[in-house]
Amino acid sequence: MPSNATRWALAGAAAVTALGVTRTVARRRHRHQPDREDGWYVVRRGITVDRPVDAVIGFWTDRERLDRGLAEWATLEQLDANRWRCVAADPAGGGTEWRAEITVDGPGRLSWRVTDGPVAQPARVELVTAPQDRGTEIRAELRWRSGPIRRAVGLAGGTDPDLGLRTALRRIKSLIETGHVLDTRHDPSGRSPRQERATDKVREKLMVGGRP
Amino acid sequence: MRALCWEGVGKLAVRDVPEPTIRSGGDILVKVRASSVCGSDLHLINGYLPAMREGDILGHEFMGEVVETGPDVRRISVGDRVVVGSVVACGSCWYCRTEQFSLCDNSNPQPVFTEKLWGHSPAGILGYSHAAGGYSGSHAEYIRVPFGDVGAFTVPDGVPDDSVVFASDAMPTGWMAADFCNLKGGEVVAVWGAGGVGQMAARSAQILGAERVVVIDRLPERLATASQRLGVETINYAETDVLEALREMTAGRGPDACIEAVGMESHDVGPAYAYDKAKQTVRAQTDRPTSVRQAIMAARKGGTVSIVGVYGGLVDKFPLGAAMNKALVLRMGQMHAQRYIPMLLDRVAAGEIDPGYLATHPMSLEQGARGYEIFEKKEDGCLRTVLHPQAA
Repeated sequence: MPSNATRWALAGAAAVTALGVTRTVARRRHRHQPDREDGWYVVRRGITVDRPVDAVIGFWTDRERLDRGLAEWATLEQLDANRWRCVAADPAGGGTEWRAEITVDGPGRLSWRVTDGPVAQPARVELVTAPQDRGTEIRAELRWRSGPIRRAVGLAGGTDPDLGLRTALRRIKSLIETGHVLDTRHDPSGRSPRQERATDKVREKLMVGGRP
Repeated sequence: MRALCWEGVGKLAVRDVPEPTIRSGGDILVKVRASSVCGSDLHLINGYLPAMREGDILGHEFMGEVVETGPDVRRISVGDRVVVGSVVACGSCWYCRTEQFSLCDNSNPQPVFTEKLWGHSPAGILGYSHAAGGYSGSHAEYIRVPFGDVGAFTVPDGVPDDSVVFASDAMPTGWMAADFCNLKGGEVVAVWGAGGVGQMAARSAQILGAERVVVIDRLPERLATASQRLGVETINYAETDVLEALREMTAGRGPDACIEAVGMESHDVGPAYAYDKAKQTVRAQTDRPTSVRQAIMAARKGGTVSIVGVYGGLVDKFPLGAAMNKALVLRMGQMHAQRYIPMLLDRVAAGEIDPGYLATHPMSLEQGARGYEIFEKKEDGCLRTVLHPQAA
């Protein structure tokens, strides 16, 4: 049996270790949190598209290409000269829908407002010419009201607005550059339907929020 | 259709699976005529690249006949006999525009895993786990190839299937390894690994101007094949101290360029290797970098080390000090298939490179599990098993 002194020393060491781990985890979590401004979460995400700014704007105004590109996951309806309504749905058929009004604010600038979603999400997008002939930087800023618990649930469930924004930017880049968004969900395999459903969940985790 | 599926670590089986369909405008469907096993498949089968799911179809080095094309495909037609690069590339992003196809921005639809592991997500690879996009592989009667116009190349008449199949991966990988060495003519190049990629790297180095090529392995039959087919010098590391031998062969200088064509399951002799193997077994390191260490130590001062063997994660005892203080150039990467394949097909048609001898073990799909076993254990002088999914 260890002496009392050894017990106290061990307990002390354990307590200090626990404190250190907690602090490190808290610091790390803090680093991963989006900025807070006036009660809003704010994230800024960017992606580089290998096309000039005019071509990126052109993509949004070429109805035929846009409809073909968006066919699987969204419809876009023009409301007036500068306003559009976007209805996006989960291509896997999860039943979730995202309705937003998009307004063109000026050359290379647009904003959108979610009109029918779980949380209010105003956002702004700016198109900037990238250096070194790298095309266009799409810089997006997304704001939403939430609390730490709801955010944790969103992150775990893959419905966090930040994850959604990153996924959307990746898809937009792919659509503009290639005209397609690839998907391997229906590739053949030797899996049973149950195994396939489990694998689709893994695929979802590997798709949502990912950047190239 | 029938397909060779991964059923868990070390387990493969032929299963009846649904046929693939055109999913995107740029897709083509290829009826697979020849599909080779590759050393990098062993890392997947053995669970070292941990993103496989039960039922995944393996295989990424293949050729066949186009049976259907998507509405956006222009360059490739139904009936074309094609070889397909194993790396999927969109042909439209900045990386593809600058011919760095294996870094394509748009071809991995599941980028989260590699983004977390490596900081960014490179291109998808057919039949190469869910980290590389979750594409179905080519050990099947049919395969869907995305961006068919970019990844498929018509094959010259008269070149046999079992030869041209290596233009899919082993040849471009070997060529890129030699290309990395920036050879001007007259160099001494050492190549670690006398498998398919190592032998193609040795041949490519010769074509690009190397005066002497030295191939290093432990299997006498592979070294003998390399020596007979390519006229290279060889070192058997199980019998000879590689560093001393290379130093003496170059009168003290060391090779101008060292190509590593082995990868994360590298072998060696001695206690250091046993230590590495133990650490990898308990996953205290993901990769065994024995031959990379040797290549760095062997390279001459200011020389080049070119790594095309596949690594996935973290390694131990990487001799960064040697690389830094000898001012080495380190080049590495998955091959840019689409950059090299057309040129390589011309060279094969002209008889300048003849990779057909690598296909030592042609087999049916049903013999696939046994084919991998022979290949992994290097039985019967096996260099490559090539599966023929259309054979009964």
